[in-house]
Order: sequence, then C-alpha cells, then structure tokens
Amino acid sequence: MKRRRPLEFLPLALLVVCVSGIVFGVGGEPARLHLSQSWSAPSSEHWLGFGDAGVDLGLLAAHATFRALVLAAIVACFGFVTGTALGASTGLRGGAVERWTLRACDLVQSFPTFLLALAVLSAVRVPSRTHIGVVFCISAWAPFARLALAQTRTLRESQFVEAARALGSSSFRVVFRHVVPNLLGPVAVQLGTAAAGVVIGETALGFVGLGPPDGVSLGSLLEQGTLGMLRAPHVLAVGALSVLCVSGSLQLASEGLRRRINQGL
Amino acid sequence: MAVALVAARTLGRGLGALGVLLVLASLVFLALRLLPGDPAALILGDTASAADRAALRGKLGLDLPLWRQYLEFVWGLLRLDLGDSLARPGVPAFSEVGRALGPTAALAGTAVGMGSVLGTGAALLSVGPWLGRGREWVHRGVLLVAATPLLAFAPLVTFVLAVRLRWVPLPGDPGSGASGLLFASGLLALPLAAQVARIGRAALLDQARAKYLDVAHAKGASPWRVWVVHALPVASTPISVVVAAQLGALLGGAVVLERLFERPGLGSLMLNAYAARDIPVLEASVVAAGLLFVIAQSAAGLLQAAVDPRGRT
Repeated sequence: MKRRRPLEFLPLALLVVCVSGIVFGVGGEPARLHLSQSWSAPSSEHWLGFGDAGVDLGLLAAHATFRALVLAAIVACFGFVTGTALGASTGLRGGAVERWTLRACDLVQSFPTFLLALAVLSAVRVPSRTHIGVVFCISAWAPFARLALAQTRTLRESQFVEAARALGSSSFRVVFRHVVPNLLGPVAVQLGTAAAGVVIGETALGFVGLGPPDGVSLGSLLEQGTLGMLRAPHVLAVGALSVLCVSGSLQLASEGLRRRINQGL
Repeated sequence: MAVALVAARTLGRGLGALGVLLVLASLVFLALRLLPGDPAALILGDTASAADRAALRGKLGLDLPLWRQYLEFVWGLLRLDLGDSLARPGVPAFSEVGRALGPTAALAGTAVGMGSVLGTGAALLSVGPWLGRGREWVHRGVLLVAATPLLAFAPLVTFVLAVRLRWVPLPGDPGSGASGLLFASGLLALPLAAQVARIGRAALLDQARAKYLDVAHAKGASPWRVWVVHALPVASTPISVVVAAQLGALLGGAVVLERLFERPGLGSLMLNAYAARDIPVLEASVVAAGLLFVIAQSAAGLLQAAVDPRGRT
C-alpha cells in the first residue's frame, strides 16, 4: 500500500508560488531605495516594512529567496547529473578508476566548502552570483558520486546488468540505460539536502560580505538585520524567518522524497 | 607488529592530510593569480599609476613566471613565511595568523566540548527510561535544532538574550570576556549537539538490542549503569565520527559568529584580508584554517581508534 504524503511538499510549493508570484507579478525593483522610509516598521501598505536606506523588505526578501532557490536548483541539478554519471560509470568499471573517484570524493568532501568559497571568491574583484554558483558546483558533485558509486557496486553484480553486457551493449548503454535508472531513487534523495546546503552557504557568504554586489541575497538581508538589531528588530525577523522558511521547506521536501522512495523500494 | 601497523597508519594519515592541505594552498595560490583581475590593480585601485603597480607586482613576486612563483610559495609555506602583510607593513603574515588562532581555537574548542557533552546527554535522555514519554519530545527538539541553520537562529537568539533580556553582552562589546566567549561557543555548539544527539540516539538504540545490556539489566544494574557505563562507550565511535565530520561546519560557523559578534579570530582576519586584498595574510589564513581542520580530523581519527579497538585492525 502506498500512502502519499503530499503535505511534505506543500511548504516548498507554496513558497515557490508565493515568491515567483511576487517576483513576476508584483514587479518593482528590490534595489530601489526609499530613503525617507529607512528602517520604518511594517505597515498596511508594506507588510514587512523597510530596511537599511529604505529597502522594501518584502520585495527584497522575495527576490532574494527566488534567486537563492534558483541557484540552489541549478547547483543541485548540476551535482546530481555529473555526480550520478561519474559515480555510475566509474562504479561499473571498478578497479583503480573507482578507487580514484572515491579518493577525489574524499578530497572534495573533506574541504569545508565555505573555506573553498572564500579562497576562490577572494580572487574575484566583485563576486557575482555566477562565481558563487561555480564555487558550489566544484564540490556539489561529490556526495552524489559517492552515493551513485555505492549503489552501482550492488547493481553491477545483478543479473540484468550481466545480461545486457552479454548481449553486447556498449558500456555507455549499460550505464545510462540499465544502471542509472535503477539508482536514481536513493541518489535523488540527496537533491533536497544539497539544495538546502547551497541556500545556507550562499546566505553565509552574503552575511560575511562575499555576496553578490547588488545586495539582493538572503545573506545581506540577514546582515542588515543584525546591524539594525537595536533600532529595527523587524528587519532581523524578516531575514531570519526567510532563511528558516527556505531551508526548512527544502528539508521537508527532501524528507518527503526519502519516505516516498523508501516505500517504493 | 601492531606498533609498526599503527605507525604506518599514522604516517599514511599524516601524508594524506598534508596532501589535502597542499591542494587547498595551491588552489588559493592559483585562484589569486590565474583568475582574471590583476591583484596589484585590485589592491591599489584603478587610479594607481603603472609604475606603482609594477613596483607592487615586483614586491609580491607577481612578475616572475608562474612556476617560480609557485615554488617560492611552497618554499614559503614550508618555512611559514609568506612575506609581510600588505595592510600592516613589517608584520609577517603568519604572525598575524598566529595572533588570530588563539581566539578561534578557544571558540571552536569550547564549542566542541559543550556540543559533545550536550549532545551525548540529549541522546541518553532520548533513549533512557528517565523521562518516560518526555524522551520523544527530546528527540523532536533535537530534530528541530538539527534542521535549523545556525545562521538563522544565532542572530535571533542574540537579539532575544542580548537586546531584550540583557542576559549576555551585546555583539561587538569589547569587554564581553568569558561570558561572550561562552555565549558564542554555546551557539556554535547547538548544531553540533543536535547532530551528536541524533547519531548517538541511533547508535544507542542499536545497542539496546544487544545481549550484554540484558545481562547487565538482569544482574540488577541501574539504568544509569546500563546506559552510561555499558552502552555509551560502544556507541562512542559513531559519535566521534560525527564530531569529526562537523568540524568543517564548525569552522564555517566560527567565521559567521566572529562576524556577528565582532570577535577577533581567524575568520575575521580572513574577511579583513579579503576586504583589503591583503594577499599574503589571506593565503596564510586560509592555509592555517585548512591546517586546523586537518589536524582536528586526524585527532578525531586517532581518538576513535583509541576508544574503539575494533577500528584499529
């Protein structure tokens, strides 16, 4: 019996709908400043109030969340595709190639991503969102590759893979036609975790001042909040709650994915 | 025989750690030199004259061919001498790092200690019989903390405790002293404690079915004796693995908290060096952070081998 638990995907879906509704439907520039309104509290027209130099917090939070989600989706998908392909093909090959892949995973995973980001971004004059994305991509593939490799190890002994090989399929065909579809489930579970990690990482970088220059990021929103903690606590609340909503909904969704896949197996 | 094995493993682990460190250092080196953007122009700004830029390039050794720069960089690493700080001329980069290491080590060290104790305590409470039904709530609380990013709750908790309740010193208060350190490391310890509690609970539940606990129980041992004296040492291997795995996150969290509380330390040094384009200090501080990370992980590995003989084979 399959019991569906769509509730776990609901927060993420709601968040995506709301945020893209504001970004595409309402319009308005998140970077536009209303200097006279600096740090003013929420009102009936502007539900979330204003922040440093009169930034409309509602717009800023929506745009920042939207961009964080897009970045997270891109990085997670990149990691998923490259990591799965790499893990599956080297796992099927076995031997030294497999050991080297594992060693590379060790190397990448043992680096704190934050340190890596700091090192790479320090060389760029003005780190843009692309740079940040590239830095996350450098390390995003490793957990996927490790998972895919572990799954492939069990799959490569199975009879359908042996049969495909005996029938003379090319190794490309064996990997993508027979192995990859069978390991997608367990590996896909990592997607939500990876996306949440990217959101947190991007926020941390923005918070310490390595965010994109336009200031439209959850990190700089949070930084505004801590700077104005004494005079305008609502800014801090908006920043912290946005980060909580994004990472929480991603984690819930990945938990739901995990449950669904485990039931399917 | 066993001694030789241990020595060989330690040596292998040390070499591996050095390899990781060298890769990190090389990455910083290459990133600072190969990515578009002349570091000399970044430091001096666009308005500087060509002669000034050339002088700075000469001083930093940027006019040499890349392989010679790299050799000098590695040689400098080995001698712990990457040149003087650009922001504070006459101060060697590594002495800046040395000064920053203390506060960060104190922060991270206190956090590891608090996190391990808190997490183990929570794990014991969530499996032991002491709380009755309340243990489910301990577990739920742990899951909630584990799912909440430090970055989001640290400023909120600071606001409530420092601004509203005035229990702890305000961020940036230079006279915060020990209570500031304890508060910051307590925040840093929370996510670690949650992870430790999660894994510790799973490991303890794994042990719960073991016969030796039944025997201990049948012989009339108290729950304290059964769980803490018998089960906990066996469950400590996964716990030390989690602590080691969390060290990277801990370093990142330390950077964030140093920024939030305006505390001195390796993170602040790195960020200031980044802002000032102080290349020698930046290189030295990233390498030092990597070294700290690698040492801590190796120490966790050795500790794990010492606690659990099964890992030694």
